[in-house]
Amino acid sequence: MEKPFVFEFLGLKFDLVGIIGSTLMALVVLFICIWLSRKVEMRPNKKQNVLEYLLDFTDGIVRDNVEDVDAQKHLSLYAFVLFLFIWFMNQLGLFLEVKVDDFMIIKSPTADPVTTMSFAMMTLLLSFTFGIQKFGTGGYLKNYLAPVWFLLPVNIIEEFTNFLTLSLRLYGNIYAGEVLLTLIGNRLAPSLGISTMVLTAPLAMIWQGFSVFIGSIQAYVFVTLSMVYIGKKVTKE
Amino acid sequence: MTLNVLFAASDLYLGNTIWYLITFAFLLLLIKRYAWGPVSEMMEKRRQKVINDLDSAASERKRAETLANEREAALKNSRQEATKILSDAKDNAQKTSTEIVAGANSEAASIRQKAEEDAKQAKAKALEDARQQVADISVAIAEKVIAKNLSAEDQKDLVDQFIKGLND
Repeated sequence: MEKPFVFEFLGLKFDLVGIIGSTLMALVVLFICIWLSRKVEMRPNKKQNVLEYLLDFTDGIVRDNVEDVDAQKHLSLYAFVLFLFIWFMNQLGLFLEVKVDDFMIIKSPTADPVTTMSFAMMTLLLSFTFGIQKFGTGGYLKNYLAPVWFLLPVNIIEEFTNFLTLSLRLYGNIYAGEVLLTLIGNRLAPSLGISTMVLTAPLAMIWQGFSVFIGSIQAYVFVTLSMVYIGKKVTKE
Repeated sequence: MTLNVLFAASDLYLGNTIWYLITFAFLLLLIKRYAWGPVSEMMEKRRQKVINDLDSAASERKRAETLANEREAALKNSRQEATKILSDAKDNAQKTSTEIVAGANSEAASIRQKAEEDAKQAKAKALEDARQQVADISVAIAEKVIAKNLSAEDQKDLVDQFIKGLND
């Protein structure tokens, strides 16, 4: 069992794995985006096409789940960046895991519930903001009594369940993928010497491919559900 | 294992949450500045351009249609005009030719009449001249006959002489 590398700074605890992973992936996302958009033209070149396809894809997620046109405009950037960032963080642990003296240094930041909960929290706070902007504080609070007043506890619990399902779904999928990959690589492969190492290589490859697929699906699901929650806040039921 | 889980729970690293928020905010700003902003702006511009192009294409087609109609009408008009001009010209030519022929005829007639008159006049004058001369000659002969008693031979010579003088 690897230990997390935790240090304290200004009275807050920091986990180095998440910080390194997220910063690294943020830089990767940033550089890829800048590289793809170096020459923006009316007649798009190949790189611009890729970026426009991605933007169209995340815009499609936003359009499908948020009916409010004004909110759509504001959410386009959020969905785009969130999708790319989570996708890259999901993939990081699949090809790069660095361990120093039993301490994990680099793995997928999203294989950690704190990370996924941070992003879920961000979405949740954003949905509150959008709801209050749209209906005002009073109108927003009144929406908790809709469609009938005695559903108030259900509506409040829903906020917590939304938060938990959004974060734990992503965490569970990525964490499970990494655990299985670690098991194949660390336990199964060296169990009977060279023969199992050769035999488990294709297995690891298949699982890695599958994890790439899962990571993409989970990034898509995370963004989609974020938009669903925000969309629900800005439409009157 | 239980100890480990408990240890992890006490180790809740909330600092990471703040770090993620800051990282994400920076990422959001930078991507908006360098990638998302220009690209979505260009996509919007392209959308507007396509709308404009479609609109202008529709109006151009309409214009071309009206132009073609106009040209067809003009062509029909000009064909009619051409036939009219042609028939006018024919009529004119005929009229002019008849006029010219009539003018020529009348002129020829007047010229002939004048010639006839001239001839008549000339003839009358010639006759008058001849009559005058004959009278003069008769007087001259008579004078000569009276002035001299002439023999027949002399008379004959005289007449001959006279006639010779006439011939000169």
